[in-house]
Amino acid sequence: MKKTELIKLASSWFQKKNWNEFPFQKKTWNAFLDGKHGLLNAPTGSGKTYALWVPIVLQYIKDNPDYKTKHAKGLKAIWITPLRALSVEIQQSAQRFADELETGLTIGIRTGDTPQSERAKQKRNMPDLLITTPESLMLLLASKGYEKVFGNLTAIVVDEWHELLGSKRGVQMELALSRLKTISPNLRIWGISATIGNLEEAQNVLLGMDPEFRKNSVLIKSKQKKKIKVISIIPKKMETFPWRGHLGLHLLDDIIPILKDSKTTIIFTNTRSQCEIWFQKILAKYPEFAGEIAMHHGSIAKETRLWVEQAIRNESLKAVVATSSLDLGVDFAPVETIIQIGGPKGIAKFLQRAGRSNHRPGEPSVIYFLPTHALELVEASALKRAVKEEVMEDRIPYLLSFDVLIQYLVTLSVSNGFIPKELFPEIKSTFCYQGITEDQWKWCLNFITMGSQSLQAYDEYKRVEVTLEGVFKVESKRIAMMHRLSIGTIVSDAMLQVKYVSGGFIGTIEEWFIGKLKPGDTFVFAGRTLELVRLRNMAAQVRRSNKKSATVVSFMGGRLPLSSQMSKILREELQSEAEYKRNTPELKALSELFERQELESIVPKQDEFLIETFKTREGYHALFYPFEGRFVHEAMSGLLAYRISLLLPITFSLAYNDYGFELLSDQPLDVQQVIDNNLFSSEYLFDDLQKSLNSTELARRKFRDVAVISGMVFQGYPNKMIKTKHLQSSSQLLFDVFRDYEPDNLLYQQAFRETFEHQLEEGRLRMALERIATQTIIWKQCEKPTPFSFPIITDRLREKLSSEKLKDRIKKMTLQLLK
Amino acid sequence: MTQTITIREKHFTLHPSGAIYWHEENMLLIADVHFGKVAHFRKHGAAVPQKASEENFRKLNVLVDTYQPGTICFLGDLFHSTLNNSWKDFTQWVKFQKSEFILISGNHDIIPKYLFEELGVIVYDELLRSDFLLTHHPIEDEKLFNLSGHIHPGVRLQGVGRQYIKLPCFFKTEKQMILPAFGNFTGKYILTPTSTNEVFAIADDEVICVSTNS
Repeated sequence: MKKTELIKLASSWFQKKNWNEFPFQKKTWNAFLDGKHGLLNAPTGSGKTYALWVPIVLQYIKDNPDYKTKHAKGLKAIWITPLRALSVEIQQSAQRFADELETGLTIGIRTGDTPQSERAKQKRNMPDLLITTPESLMLLLASKGYEKVFGNLTAIVVDEWHELLGSKRGVQMELALSRLKTISPNLRIWGISATIGNLEEAQNVLLGMDPEFRKNSVLIKSKQKKKIKVISIIPKKMETFPWRGHLGLHLLDDIIPILKDSKTTIIFTNTRSQCEIWFQKILAKYPEFAGEIAMHHGSIAKETRLWVEQAIRNESLKAVVATSSLDLGVDFAPVETIIQIGGPKGIAKFLQRAGRSNHRPGEPSVIYFLPTHALELVEASALKRAVKEEVMEDRIPYLLSFDVLIQYLVTLSVSNGFIPKELFPEIKSTFCYQGITEDQWKWCLNFITMGSQSLQAYDEYKRVEVTLEGVFKVESKRIAMMHRLSIGTIVSDAMLQVKYVSGGFIGTIEEWFIGKLKPGDTFVFAGRTLELVRLRNMAAQVRRSNKKSATVVSFMGGRLPLSSQMSKILREELQSEAEYKRNTPELKALSELFERQELESIVPKQDEFLIETFKTREGYHALFYPFEGRFVHEAMSGLLAYRISLLLPITFSLAYNDYGFELLSDQPLDVQQVIDNNLFSSEYLFDDLQKSLNSTELARRKFRDVAVISGMVFQGYPNKMIKTKHLQSSSQLLFDVFRDYEPDNLLYQQAFRETFEHQLEEGRLRMALERIATQTIIWKQCEKPTPFSFPIITDRLREKLSSEKLKDRIKKMTLQLLK
Repeated sequence: MTQTITIREKHFTLHPSGAIYWHEENMLLIADVHFGKVAHFRKHGAAVPQKASEENFRKLNVLVDTYQPGTICFLGDLFHSTLNNSWKDFTQWVKFQKSEFILISGNHDIIPKYLFEELGVIVYDELLRSDFLLTHHPIEDEKLFNLSGHIHPGVRLQGVGRQYIKLPCFFKTEKQMILPAFGNFTGKYILTPTSTNEVFAIADDEVICVSTNS
């Protein structure tokens, strides 16, 4: 069949369904059938699945003219999705098209949830399309004979590529693709991405450094645009609205009319614990919602989540309180309204959430923004502008992630084994490892075979062995099994299952939280009050409790930093305030807060840099307001604290948020000295940053991921009773050991480099310092905390830095005693 | 810098390595060395730096040079796991020592007793010297004073300006002294003392009594 005939086949199917085919869909079909690779930029709910599934089927029809009578066996295409939850939806759409064209094509799912029996069946007889996750794809590469399974692939589609791009799962994908390019000669590589600032880079990362692939590729943008309407929920009484906080419960009553007016509402929160609390509080105050409102977050059992998703579709729910677990994918037509609680911290995220509502074409999506403390109203005002001006953030891809490379090399050693000389060009063709040197490559090979750089007497290191033919292989079954188990570990704290004593799985919870509880203690989880009965085999056994108050489960993470685009707009909004323009309803509402701020201090103008100092019971506070977003403040506070600590022995506790940062000490800080010594200089920035990094905990925290991914910390066997006896170690201990004995280890150094590239954003920091250099520094010695300072000084998650001798510090400290 | 304290008229010097020297008995007490932990990890594919395992011997040599003890008594968890090449290093080291060796068996000590005994290390479950009872797990006894390990004790100190710090420590109650872990690739477990406990924290190369600053 010719291309035009093939496309006609699809078009008539669309017509039969009474659907319009969009230009971007047709463009994609054409490009695919022409043998091109590419990136499709299309939002969720726009028909992107058919944009790529249709031509895969058409290609099959073209290659097999008697497709209706004879089914050609074997895997033809892989569809990668970052979230397991999305796979069913994709399967249904794909199956519908395949069936109605009478192709006999089968579509299978393979994720962590797929039962062992099903997986074994797939191995014997692969479906035609396999929907899977990056981890499960890696696991397939860890099984013998994978090259036969993938040999006849015509396409791999990476869905939601923007989600994977800025993460190490994205690097996993790059490596898997580099292998597939070699073993599947007819492969087309396609990505689907929502709008981000660096779409072209996203395309390059996906296709790799290979010029042939890049040349033969296209970037297709769907022209569909959604109108978005942002409405801030402004407190009626500003006087009683708090200066700090992150829950936003003060405005709970204000959302009730919104819920009642709309068919279905999704309430997005920023953390799982916030999600739990909101769910509880709405029900406690408005019991009439019982049965009509549900909760959805990543720690809740899969069955419950699926039930909630289904209930949204049948319109049997009035509202769902959710976290980012509902950000992606699945379309919920009945959702009319979105409420965002607290700053979403990024424009792309905010838009994505807004887009979850109202899929009727032509009508705008409505999103309400509910501030959790007063200053967040400035953020609301800034968000509105960002949406209007269509500002978009970049997703920064990882470079030279040696941990992922080591994991990948061991993966290949577990299955067929590899010959370094043959594999190196593949690795070097990826975006992530384009800059890898021969030395670094050799280092990685030595690391997996000898555990370091030279074989020492008596060493019993055992992981990958080299056969006489020069093939790198894992011979030990035990090591192979441990490796397979660790591939899927999403880097997080050890997770425990929460189960009823009588059985019945409720969800998973981070170990450190349960670790703080004693049997008999109660806590709130998954919307229920539970009593901890005992801990057994990686499970917390609980029973329901009627006790009133209880700790709400808290989860680490979930604090998203303000992107640079967002912080610039935020700064401009504030400055417009300093000039008394007050040109948005949000800023008008904040009048009183700004007046209070001006009473004690000032609202800085564009050419001013504000520093405040004051003393409280806690010690001497010094606050700095660059308005550059959390990451820059994190770096700048460490840098400044480090530079001050060179002038005198001093100990600081550091806190930061999106507006500014605090240096808290037990001795007063002479700000004049900071100014006179030019401590905001961007000279020696790299050096000083590096040293400040050594004295804080940032790199140490990054090292945790690196240690887990590279297989140095084994997280144990999920759901298995086998004990990993004597192999428990914390990444903290490992970090110390590397610092003391092997500081040139590439993985140890990677933790620092990643902190630089992904957390501290040296480039942004430098620009911020250069900006400060042009500003007038205004030092306000205040009597008491100012409205601007409040959210920062009350933050309890802190970094520390000290140049005092340990012994001198101890003398000033007290032992915490049991009361 | 060390600290010397008196318990029931006997003298004990607390050393920043985590060891205790008992003057009257001319005995060095050492808890939770976890020899072979590094090798155990390496054997299972986790590339912990090999050099880390040499540190324990360096520290032991410093102690032997300083105190020249008649007896070295390990309060359990001397070895982390099953036999591996660290055993060879240990036997080599023991052969060059003049002291007598005692091991109070701990929960990690799964290496067969006879191998220790061939080396001249005497293995006990517990040991009584004057009215001091030496064990691995801390125990309560009405009359005796208990010296033990197992816990890897540490404490948390806090100060003005939201400062806090966690340090390994010697933890003393009325009838017990728990030693910190000697091994360098071990961790610590934070204890919360009561006002009657005495806590000696290890800060770099000093032992400092911190229970007086509460």
